[in-house]
Amino acid sequence: MTQAVGAFARSTWLQYVALFQWATPLGFFAYMIALPVTQIVFFVQLGVFATGPGNALYFALGNSMQLQANSGIFGVIATVSNERQYGTLPLLLASPANRLLTFMSRSVVNVLNGIVSVVFALGITALIYGLDLRAANLPLLGLCIIVISMTTAGLGLLFGSLGLVMRDSIIVANVVYYGLLILCGVNFPVSRLPGAMQVVAYSLPLTRGVMAAREAVAGAAFGHVAGLLAGELLVGAVYAGLGYALFRLLESWARRGGLQEAF
Amino acid sequence: MRSLVRAAWRTFEISTRLRVVSPWAYLNWLVFPIIFATIGLFVLTSSGYARVAYGVLGGGIIGFWSVTYLDGGNSIQEERWNGTLEQIFAVPTPLFVIVIGKILGSLLLGLLAFIPTVALAYFGFHAALPGLDPFRFAISLGILTFSFFVLAVALTPLFAISRSAFTVVNGLELGVYWLCGFMFPVSQLPEWLQPISYALSPTWAARALYASASTSPSGDITSWWLAALGLSTLYLVASVVLYRFVEVRARVTGQLALT
Repeated sequence: MTQAVGAFARSTWLQYVALFQWATPLGFFAYMIALPVTQIVFFVQLGVFATGPGNALYFALGNSMQLQANSGIFGVIATVSNERQYGTLPLLLASPANRLLTFMSRSVVNVLNGIVSVVFALGITALIYGLDLRAANLPLLGLCIIVISMTTAGLGLLFGSLGLVMRDSIIVANVVYYGLLILCGVNFPVSRLPGAMQVVAYSLPLTRGVMAAREAVAGAAFGHVAGLLAGELLVGAVYAGLGYALFRLLESWARRGGLQEAF
Repeated sequence: MRSLVRAAWRTFEISTRLRVVSPWAYLNWLVFPIIFATIGLFVLTSSGYARVAYGVLGGGIIGFWSVTYLDGGNSIQEERWNGTLEQIFAVPTPLFVIVIGKILGSLLLGLLAFIPTVALAYFGFHAALPGLDPFRFAISLGILTFSFFVLAVALTPLFAISRSAFTVVNGLELGVYWLCGFMFPVSQLPEWLQPISYALSPTWAARALYASASTSPSGDITSWWLAALGLSTLYLVASVVLYRFVEVRARVTGQLALT
């Protein structure tokens, strides 16, 4: 048990410091500071241009929440795709390490990273656009942030598994990350999407989480958003479970086809 | 001279072939523009169709820029990963000739970004550009292309001297969109930021492009064309110094593959 916990802790730490592009000061600045600031400013200014300054906070809050997917999606997918790029994927697959621990360790730091990035994004939003949280239910908003961080990591685990057999799985990360901006009610309500796309929206993490966060900022009580948060957690758990199943499936497929060395 | 043109042409040809089979290129010219155009069109049509031109053209401009600069710069990064960057510096052909060939390939692909976004706007949102002045639009698009080309050629050497360049540029990508007014006018930005926007040639070219697609254009479009061309010329002059610096530094340090 102690050995397993130690392996988990080492795997978590090493995959973070060794495989992330943002493990350098410049990379950290680019992905953890510049990206959140530029994304929030872009979509808030777009929203203000289209609908007037009164709606700035709608766009600012939505994008602050979505930024957690930067860690949850990019971070998790990059851990597998970078193993391939740096030539260490065959070693990982040949090791006797517990697969569930290896798999979960890829998301733990990303969950924490996501929480830090959304706190930073909310700070930026308060500074630039005067986000007023005095009436907000802050503990509930904090809970929403933690839940979204875990559920987006669940989605990341599912698509991260594709890195076992795909050379360019980080492209999938790009599509998923930016696709969430369309589908999850970040910049406009889900109700504006065509019917079929609304079904997709509600089967994704983030959609209910963003709705709950908006309610929390408006001062709603826990009971008011409990259903949304439970739904968000359920969706995230389903994606994480599917991700683990896919990881095991693709692992054996990659072994049989020698795909882990394709670069 | 003829040998330089031939070298640039060959680089263009090879880099274009590589892009045709690269999923990254399709992400930049097809997927990203569609995603940004979709968001832009949903947001910009939420209160009528008065600003819809920014949704119709904005996604295309974003895709065009992404392919030209990011893909062009990343092609240098790929040379590093493939172990061929040293050879590029060692051959008698000047670096800028090779970069020009690569960027021309990016431009060609980048122009395609307007096709899916205009089609999406028309078929998905019934949005078009009723006030389009074809003559002015063609000139504005040509000047936008030139300003992207010059900026990409001028800055691509940075990708050669630092492997972190792509990471930094990628993180700042959305900042370029708002600084240059790709999807909304720069007058929306805080006043203290606007001087930075006005020092960037794509700002003036994008402004002219939107004015040429507007039913009621205001302002002097000719002076915007001249501003874009003038700034681009300044970037070209500055790039001569940058290229010399990069070529000397690469040879002196001998750390081209490591930086």
